[in-house]
Amino acid sequence: MPCAAAAEVPDPAVLLRALARPAPSATEFVEIRGSALLKQPLRISGQYRRPDRDTLVREVRAPYRETTTLAGGQAVIAREGKPEQRYSLERVPELAGIQSSFGALLDGDAQALQRQYEVSAQGTPRHWQLSLQPREPALRKRVLAVNLYGDDGELRCIATQPARGDIQRTVLGAAVRAVEAGATPESLCELRAGP
Amino acid sequence: MIRISASHWRLLAALAWLAVLAVAGWIASERLQVSGDLRKFMPDARTPAQRLLMDELGEGPGSRLLMIALSGAAPDELARQSRELRARLGERSDLALVANGEQAGLEAIPERLRPYRYLLGNVDPQAFAAPALREALQARVQDLGSPAGALIEPLLPSDPTLQTLQVAQALQPARAPQRIDDVWFDRSGRQALLLVQTRAAGFDPTGQATALAAIEQAFAAVSAGSGSRMEISGPGAFSVKIGARTSREAGTIGTIDTVGMVILLLLAYRSWRAPILGFLPLATAGMAGLLAVVALFDGVHGITLAFGFTLIGVVQDYPIHFLSHQRPGVSAWRNVRALWPTLGTGVASTCIAYLTFLFSGVEGLKQLSVFTIAALATAALATRYVLPALVEPAIRDFADSRALDRLWRGIERLPRPRLSLLVLAVLCVLAIWRAPGAFWQNDLSRLTPVDPADLLRDAQLRSELGAPDVRYVLTVRGRDAEQVLRRTETLRGWLDAEVAAGALQDYDFAARYLPSMALQRQRQALLPAPEPLRGALQEALVDSPFRADAFAPFLADMEAARRAPPLRPQDLAGSPLATAVDGLLLRSDDHATALVSLSGLRDPAAFAAASQARGAALLDLKQASESLVAAYRLRLLVALAVAALLLVATVGLALRSRRRMLRVLLPMLLTTLLVLAALRLAGIELNLFHLIGLILSAGLGLDYGLFFEHAGDGREDQLRTLHGLIVCSLMTVLVFALLALSSIPVLRAIGSTVALGVVCNFVLALLVSRHHSGGRHAWA
Repeated sequence: MPCAAAAEVPDPAVLLRALARPAPSATEFVEIRGSALLKQPLRISGQYRRPDRDTLVREVRAPYRETTTLAGGQAVIAREGKPEQRYSLERVPELAGIQSSFGALLDGDAQALQRQYEVSAQGTPRHWQLSLQPREPALRKRVLAVNLYGDDGELRCIATQPARGDIQRTVLGAAVRAVEAGATPESLCELRAGP
Repeated sequence: MIRISASHWRLLAALAWLAVLAVAGWIASERLQVSGDLRKFMPDARTPAQRLLMDELGEGPGSRLLMIALSGAAPDELARQSRELRARLGERSDLALVANGEQAGLEAIPERLRPYRYLLGNVDPQAFAAPALREALQARVQDLGSPAGALIEPLLPSDPTLQTLQVAQALQPARAPQRIDDVWFDRSGRQALLLVQTRAAGFDPTGQATALAAIEQAFAAVSAGSGSRMEISGPGAFSVKIGARTSREAGTIGTIDTVGMVILLLLAYRSWRAPILGFLPLATAGMAGLLAVVALFDGVHGITLAFGFTLIGVVQDYPIHFLSHQRPGVSAWRNVRALWPTLGTGVASTCIAYLTFLFSGVEGLKQLSVFTIAALATAALATRYVLPALVEPAIRDFADSRALDRLWRGIERLPRPRLSLLVLAVLCVLAIWRAPGAFWQNDLSRLTPVDPADLLRDAQLRSELGAPDVRYVLTVRGRDAEQVLRRTETLRGWLDAEVAAGALQDYDFAARYLPSMALQRQRQALLPAPEPLRGALQEALVDSPFRADAFAPFLADMEAARRAPPLRPQDLAGSPLATAVDGLLLRSDDHATALVSLSGLRDPAAFAAASQARGAALLDLKQASESLVAAYRLRLLVALAVAALLLVATVGLALRSRRRMLRVLLPMLLTTLLVLAALRLAGIELNLFHLIGLILSAGLGLDYGLFFEHAGDGREDQLRTLHGLIVCSLMTVLVFALLALSSIPVLRAIGSTVALGVVCNFVLALLVSRHHSGGRHAWA
């Protein structure tokens, strides 16, 4: 029944309110990184943490250990037995995209999100997709879109579509267990059918 | 038709003269090349340090650096401004280097030189064996999986060990400031920092001013509306700031002086034409001096000009003597003829004395000699042959003044000191000899002191940026670039140890950017041949997530590096590396000098000894420039001694009497002793500007002595002379006393010396040289 489905398209603002997880908060993740240099995409798992509003920590636990802290426009990468590396977030717009969308998302700050992205919603309140299109030309050159997939008040996947190369998918929260159980990230990073 | 009276004609002629001077001044200012180049001012270099300072460096790599701090806006905005500023300034040819931390990345090594990364940076031969490669590949997997993966990915196929990044990092200063948004920031993260190296030497005020103006302009465009501020620090910025302050203060003092002189002349001569007539010979003299120097020399040194204009202050007196002797019933021409012997004796003997500067062997002193002689002679001739044509017939005789008459009678009752003067002279000599403190001040920079707050700021920025020391630089000399590069490479271990021990904060040299060819060949020999490398890579790739063919470009690059001819300095042309190398590697046809810039040197003496033992020489550029100042002064003093003898001889010849000669010269000699003693007792270290002040005051003293001694036979003539001398000395005291109050040491040195000298000269000439009532004269 297309008419009923259309009537049920979720309001992004309502969705965002439901997704809000004020700091401090933490969630498990699984990321898949593809590269032409690799035989098969790399699967990385760990935890995303927000100890405070302005900091996002990405802790990789497998297949190796590594902690990345995003704060103050910088990414600080710490590896076991190696000195810290620092990068400007400006040089990694993909990452800046994750941080800003993720941050605004967890704050439930629809306005902040809409300042940076054109936000649109698809699906139903039960199974939804939020599409974020960068407004800033510099970011748009590198990132075509960030798509968020979720069910009810739970974010399932952040899929970043770079201008060149493969989609980078980050599976979050309860969906991580589905990946561990054998589900492909692709299947988790798409709009689910059904009510 | 309007009838123009003779009086109007004279006025018109005077104004026409002024107009000609203005035009000549404009032409001179167009043609005049005022340089701040120390070489024009200083004697030839003798020691290696002096030669390096003069011939090659200018003033050390540190002195050409300008440090820039941007503040007052959000960090991302400041970073944007920093990037744009670098982009704009980077295009300028007068700036050798504009750095803000951005070029830290791969841009430092241009694409065509990429394979050379294995020769430019240290390579561990084990790095290309299977175990090390395997470890490197594991780390690359993590890199790909990291948020920065996208950055690293393009580099991996040709460089799985990330040698490029290692080399780029090694090219960074060891103590580079932190980076926010890719550009340098201070520790607090509130100020974006940039480093600019000018091509112009630190002592070249014009070049520095141009560079500063360009930076200010670029910043204005970049920062418009953001509310951010820019601070520029460094030797060049200071010299421009102080130069502006000096000229501003000199301008203010000059204006007050001019007003004071006009009022004084108006009061003294009760004629509104007097200031014009009084001004003409001086202006003409200055112009003649300038034109002579412009015609005979390539460029004029700023200090020479300052000295020159100070020294010709004496010509201000010529028209005053003439005007004071004007009286009804005597034509201006007859008046000037009567004055000429006295005036002429003064001018001729001074000019002959200044001739000695021509043979001093110092360019700056030669210019000074030409300038003053041309100026003095022109002023004297203008007073003798032109002024009488312009002056109005006198309506007043200053000899009629009751006040002057009373004053002169009082003066005549004064005793003529003899023994007391001898005692005074002995006391002065004792004071000069025994007063505590250094006699000479050699540090030119002390004459133009930098605001302590600015110095503090400079030190802060210098430490934040790890900028090199301005004063010390280590040098290694050799036959050619290769030899000095090799020699500096052998110093690396020792320098690193010094840094580790805290004796040194950091150092930099050309071999860090461009290893010697010998070292490059050494590294080449360690690089693996294609087959073994292919084997090791294959082994490392077993069970790796990477594809087997992912690193084919790596094998190609390695082979290119193994076979490439070693890089030479000239191969770097056009790359950012070239700037770094050229600043630290001075090459000429028959030799080369490598500079090791130092920052935060703790114990220069110990370091100098240690470096000497290693075949390097620590140069103290401050000491070198001071020794040059001392050499300049010595030449000046020798020239002065000869000049003094010539002066005595000329005056003696003109006066043809030892007694008269003594009476004329004694006040001037005593004054010199008195002023020297006063300065010494006040704890003032003497500099070149005091010396110039003393020379001017001696020249004035000679004229006072001559005029007092030859005041004319009649009482009227004596009164007119007294009038003239009072106006002269009042005017000179007015001008120089104001300079003495200046906040700028240069102006203060000249001002205090001359003001004190004029008072002493006047009083002593009055006591010693004044005309004998009953005496007879050879001329009148």
